[in-house]
Amino acid sequence: MCAEHEHKAAQTYQDSGLPRVLLNCTVNGENVSQWIDPTMSLLHFLRHELNLLGTKEGCGEGECGACTIIFNGRAVNSCLVLAQEAEGSRILTVEGLGQEGQLSILQQEFIKEDALQCGFCTPGMLMSARALLDRNPEPEEEEIKEAIAGNLCRCTGYYPIIEAIKKASEREKEASQR
Amino acid sequence: MDSDFLYIKPPSLSDLLNHLESWGEKSKVLAGGTDLLVLLRRHDLSPSYVVDIKGIEELQRLEEVEGGDIFLGAGLTVNEAAHSGLVQKRYKALADAANKLASYQLRNRATVVGNICNASPGADLAGPLLVFDAKVQIVSTQGKREVLLQDFFTGVKKTILRPQELLYGLTLPAVTAGERSIYLKLARIKGHDLGIVGVAGRLDSRKKFHLAMSSVAPTPLRLTRLEALLNGSSRSAELPDQAAEAVQEEIRPISDVRASAAYRQHMAGVLVKRVVQYLVQEGGE
Repeated sequence: MCAEHEHKAAQTYQDSGLPRVLLNCTVNGENVSQWIDPTMSLLHFLRHELNLLGTKEGCGEGECGACTIIFNGRAVNSCLVLAQEAEGSRILTVEGLGQEGQLSILQQEFIKEDALQCGFCTPGMLMSARALLDRNPEPEEEEIKEAIAGNLCRCTGYYPIIEAIKKASEREKEASQR
Repeated sequence: MDSDFLYIKPPSLSDLLNHLESWGEKSKVLAGGTDLLVLLRRHDLSPSYVVDIKGIEELQRLEEVEGGDIFLGAGLTVNEAAHSGLVQKRYKALADAANKLASYQLRNRATVVGNICNASPGADLAGPLLVFDAKVQIVSTQGKREVLLQDFFTGVKKTILRPQELLYGLTLPAVTAGERSIYLKLARIKGHDLGIVGVAGRLDSRKKFHLAMSSVAPTPLRLTRLEALLNGSSRSAELPDQAAEAVQEEIRPISDVRASAAYRQHMAGVLVKRVVQYLVQEGGE
């Protein structure tokens, strides 16, 4: 982490100094075993312990959705999960979406549809969309809106995002039939 | 967070209750964590012990019990309730409210019982649970007590629950065929806002009205006077308008960042009217 990032990170998270506890979980398919601050959130564990900086901290209170990850198969706000609650869990973050150096279909469609500008909401948006397509591969527009209603975007006006999710749904269907 | 912070996830109810008994006010129960984590982050709360209930199987239950009543355990998430066929079919107002609470990913963690224990005046699930005459089951090492939900709230974010006690689950009394219920919520935006006003209504099979509101008083509010008025009136086309007017006397909304007291007062009337209209049209004849 560069000096500037380190400074910003310190503003949002401070180590309690309490004795560390062991956390075992699976992150993006890899087993992780790490001694952590007992008070830290799952979001801070991902960012500060694993250096997975894709998952963003916006409000830190479950309002903005920028920290959305897939936790045991379900989209959740990682800022509202105590890291210790993740013992034995399966975690998927934006870093785990692509495979073998290739972006996933969903990520490709976000790019094609101009579904991002500043990009801060994008990782959370992608994870909400991924969780939706996993439970409902062909969602209606209203279902897409409901699934991303907890993810704030101040740039796009949402329509390109909805379009990208629709296109990804179609392409994933084609890919699965091939 | 304080100098001590121990997270513990007991595997059984008796373990959990023993912990709460010995740690009392120094402990805090963790279910979904969507309210607790915010309080911890803001340093509004500094419990020495955080006791997670998610390791206890029996608290995850949503099932029909004797007499057709429904039991809803403390570990059940809002989405699990919203997606349950039992809830959708018999307690529609509760499913309505569950689908409108915060955002999808928050509902994957937040629990129904947590929404009640947090005791926000704007608790979305309180109104529907009140109109179905829900009872709360409270347990401790000393035993078990069952209380009507309307006697559970004592003030803004305050309840009768003692630190040594756990809200084990909710009992929803059986409903009969031909019931109608609905929950309407007014909020500034969908997905990440507390309600400005929420109204839950139910017309039971004996054509009796049950009504409750959120965000218009220090606690979620059962509208007993309005219920008495409606249940004492003959069914006429003016009933929804009468209800809209009468509810004004029973609520005490405040002004805050979301809306002024006057706007809340007005919109309470509008929503009550719509709820009564829906109940009368769909199920009243």
